[in-house]
Amino acid sequence: MKTNQIRTLRGKANGWNLFLVCVLVMEFAVFGIANPKFLRLPLLLSSVNDFIAICLISLFVTFVMITGGIDIQAGAIVGLTSIIIGVAWQDFGFNIWGAVALAVVAAALCGALSGFFIAYCRVQAMVVTLGGSFLYAGLALLVSTLSSTESYQGISGFPDSFKAMTKFKLFGVIPSQLIIFVVMVIVAYLLLHKSKYGRRVFLVGVNPQAAEFSGINSRLVVMSTYILSAISAAIAGIVLTSYLGTAKSDLGSTLTMNIITACVLGGTLSTGGKGNVLGTALASLIIGLMRFGMPLCFKVGTQYLDIPVGVLLILVVVGRAVMEKPQTAVILANLKKKIRPASKAAQ
Amino acid sequence: MNKLKALLKAREMNSFLFLVALFAIVSIINPEFASVTNISACFNSSVVYILIAVGMAFAILVGEIDVSVGSTLGFVATVVGSMLRDGVNWGVAFTVGILIGAAVGLLNGWGVAVMGIPSLIFTLGVNGVLRGAMYVYSNGAWVENLPKEFKNFSSVTVFGELTVYFICCLLLVLVVHLLLTRTRRGRYFTAVGDNASGATLVGISAVKTKIVAYVICGVMAAVAGIVFCSRIGFVTSISGNGYEMKAVAACVLGGISLSGGVGSVVGAAIGAVIMSSISYLLVFMGFSSNYDNAITGIILIAIVVIDALLQHRSAVRMRHERLLNRTAGTAEGGDAK
Repeated sequence: MKTNQIRTLRGKANGWNLFLVCVLVMEFAVFGIANPKFLRLPLLLSSVNDFIAICLISLFVTFVMITGGIDIQAGAIVGLTSIIIGVAWQDFGFNIWGAVALAVVAAALCGALSGFFIAYCRVQAMVVTLGGSFLYAGLALLVSTLSSTESYQGISGFPDSFKAMTKFKLFGVIPSQLIIFVVMVIVAYLLLHKSKYGRRVFLVGVNPQAAEFSGINSRLVVMSTYILSAISAAIAGIVLTSYLGTAKSDLGSTLTMNIITACVLGGTLSTGGKGNVLGTALASLIIGLMRFGMPLCFKVGTQYLDIPVGVLLILVVVGRAVMEKPQTAVILANLKKKIRPASKAAQ
Repeated sequence: MNKLKALLKAREMNSFLFLVALFAIVSIINPEFASVTNISACFNSSVVYILIAVGMAFAILVGEIDVSVGSTLGFVATVVGSMLRDGVNWGVAFTVGILIGAAVGLLNGWGVAVMGIPSLIFTLGVNGVLRGAMYVYSNGAWVENLPKEFKNFSSVTVFGELTVYFICCLLLVLVVHLLLTRTRRGRYFTAVGDNASGATLVGISAVKTKIVAYVICGVMAAVAGIVFCSRIGFVTSISGNGYEMKAVAACVLGGISLSGGVGSVVGAAIGAVIMSSISYLLVFMGFSSNYDNAITGIILIAIVVIDALLQHRSAVRMRHERLLNRTAGTAEGGDAK
């Protein structure tokens, strides 16, 4: 019985992922027909730069959502890491890689702080990460005032070795961001679906009490998911800073909705207990390509891109809610009955 | 019931004392602050936040959340602002604005209450759509050249240096508070937020109540948008960004529990005054306004963490008492306030 249930669940997840692949292919088709430029490989591959942050962060926000939480502070942490790298390197004389390490540690601490309040003090994740988004964005601004450069200008002039990290292209076409993304997907996949840790994350999301009774330190697991999502935000911050060549405190301030949409579209249940890394990865690519293709093919201004992403989010959640209603199940069953005799009659 | 009431009272009282203490501390550090002008300015500048926080309080009281208010505010401000600029009758413009707010509220209410979608996710989507719609409507341009009388209305003062807006706002908060606490239908909101299935069992429609709460929230955001237009005098394409977060923060500061059912609109209003005063107070304390977000974040987190710890402790104590009394019942009721 139990294994059967798990099998059907897995089947459902695979079905959804197949659907996401179809959407992705459809996107390629529609955008490709509307503007053949879209399919030019170098252009397409370099477009990854515009949405790499969404892809990287949503992978690990999926972990958070599986435990039943939510993370809306990741965008603020992107800006914080970026500005820490800049200030530590320019004004405190750190080696650039030392500055990067410092930024990652700082981000992990931020995640740990929020995670601690959520897991150990039982405050709703939504409020803590809301406070966190204020706090870390505020900290980023304060760090930027430590610098001799005006904060709105951003800190630039990074050494070539740092910038080269994202300028590198495998075989001359595949940008290193894509490689980073693939590596992160593999890491997240192994962590969530193939390791003990991942099973614990799922169990905590499905039933925290059962998890606690079976000897899992559920609080530690919850806290660790926030640390992971903060570290992924830090990596996104590093990649963006390296690619843009400037450190700014407000990088990533507009990412929240895109990240949540990617997770939800990827099949993660916001009430916890369900989700998968591949789905999120596919969904983030769908969103990313939409953000790239719409302006290119349909001359949609980049400011308008919140509309399609928002509509997508609403459609997915409403669609899923409709499918879960018992009435729809009845209607679908009736439809099947009607169609089957008809097809039989046709035979 | 009496105990519960006393607790509610205490929660708002705490926020009020916090506000008074905040003003007192700033006055001690910088005596220049302690003047009628400065304190009135704090209150006057909080009108938009109060309106939006009172709306948000309804959504949170029924146990949901509405993060689309910021873009509702911006969208309504854009539409009403451009209508006024083009010389449309004020009444018509305001009505259109409020209808937009109500429509957004209805949509949110449908998605959350009827379809049962997690409120944060649904309203986040609506937020994105509306923000985009704002660009479409205004073409990304600023809405400027609003009628002078409309703008000047925001600086009309009564009672010393308090503006008409603030006084109206204050009256509104009091009326809403009385409606919420003294009427049957008003109490539906807290009942649904406290225990939705229990409320349904005694004949209160949780779905209807939640929809009404969202409509009120949307309408309040629309009114806030109109006031925003009048106070600021122009609408940019990013007007209203981040207001949803400030409104949630104001409610939390005002002692409204995000799990629903606990709190009052008076608390939300006090929280809104605290929220909007912080940046003003910082200047008087000799900090740059760069500290604004960081301090808001720290206060917000500190308050919710302390609140959660206290609630957890009282829940544990109550569970302990229940155990001692050997009353039959499952441990599921441990979340009782």
